[in-house]
Amino acid sequence: MTDQPRFAHASEAELARILDYYGVRWEYEPRTFPILWNTDGKVVESFSPDFYLPDLEVYVELTTLKQSLVRRKNRKLRRLRELYPDIRVKLFYGKDFRALMLKYGRFDLAASLSGLEGQIVPVRLDAQPSLRVAIPASPAEAAPPLPPVVERESAETEGVAVVDGCRPSRGTRRRRGRRAFIGAEES
Amino acid sequence: MVEQQIRARDMRADVAEILISEEQIRAKVAELGGRIAADYSTSSVTLVSVLKGSLPFMADLMRAIEIPVTIDLMEVSSYGGASTETSGLVRILKDLSSSIAGKDVLIVEDIIDTGLTLNYLLRYLRGKNPRSLRICALLDKPARRLVEINIDYLGFTIPDEFVVGYGLDFGEFYRNLPFIGVLRRELYETT
Repeated sequence: MTDQPRFAHASEAELARILDYYGVRWEYEPRTFPILWNTDGKVVESFSPDFYLPDLEVYVELTTLKQSLVRRKNRKLRRLRELYPDIRVKLFYGKDFRALMLKYGRFDLAASLSGLEGQIVPVRLDAQPSLRVAIPASPAEAAPPLPPVVERESAETEGVAVVDGCRPSRGTRRRRGRRAFIGAEES
Repeated sequence: MVEQQIRARDMRADVAEILISEEQIRAKVAELGGRIAADYSTSSVTLVSVLKGSLPFMADLMRAIEIPVTIDLMEVSSYGGASTETSGLVRILKDLSSSIAGKDVLIVEDIIDTGLTLNYLLRYLRGKNPRSLRICALLDKPARRLVEINIDYLGFTIPDEFVVGYGLDFGEFYRNLPFIGVLRRELYETT
């Protein structure tokens, strides 16, 4: 809890703050579980839950993906539970996270932290690098400052506005989304 | 913004569905009170209510327990409150008024959701060395549970809905509704 990791998603950073607030110790992505091997015994698919809460002996996976994209994660989770029945994993969906923010009166975060809006967008190589954070569609939806967030290219990034004006073209975003989606299947 | 919207509305009109009626609450509280009285019949029990949500439940429950009880109140800051930005940690806004060392203590909660607040309270109260420490909760919403907690006396298990009434609030309102209802989705999705 002392050294803040570089979170892949703003919602993860927010959950870390909630856990800190209530004095619950956590570790960020401490373990990767192989869940699929090829015939040579090489791992071809694995699963790394976002958090481990050592005092409670439970892993927490936070997914703010659109519901239509959650099916694959559910499948991976089922596989994990089959292979590692002693491992307890709690899956938090986007709707769960939004509800949590509403419970805590964080209406701004409920609207802005989930799914697309919470994701960092990769910057185009030909653009001048500057501040690379995702912003809500309107200033009224702006959330308070958050801990550092690391870039992760994924299907969640498509359609997100970028502060420095280097928003990729629609075609680029679609290609990135497809690549990320395929990559997510293989990761 | 939320406050202005709610003030302009009829509270009951903001409820999409009554999940638990006044009569159901009354019957359940009586049942819980009877069980608690039977379990603590050879001693007395200190009821510790966690403000603000459990206030109506506490008021009704204590009158349904027909053995000697003492009561105390606690309030802890909630994540997202004003204290979050200053300390980043839970603060005890109102501590117990008297010692619970050596006493049988029953925490009275309105709802257990993630379990984070109650987990914090359990650790805090155990440090005060009660003889026993149990939990009575009117509602259990297990869908988003992060911390597994054994509830000794439970009223109702509810689905993953945003509920208000009988102490439960949205933006500090609706606590005075006499039933537990599901808040209209459009109300919080548009705020």
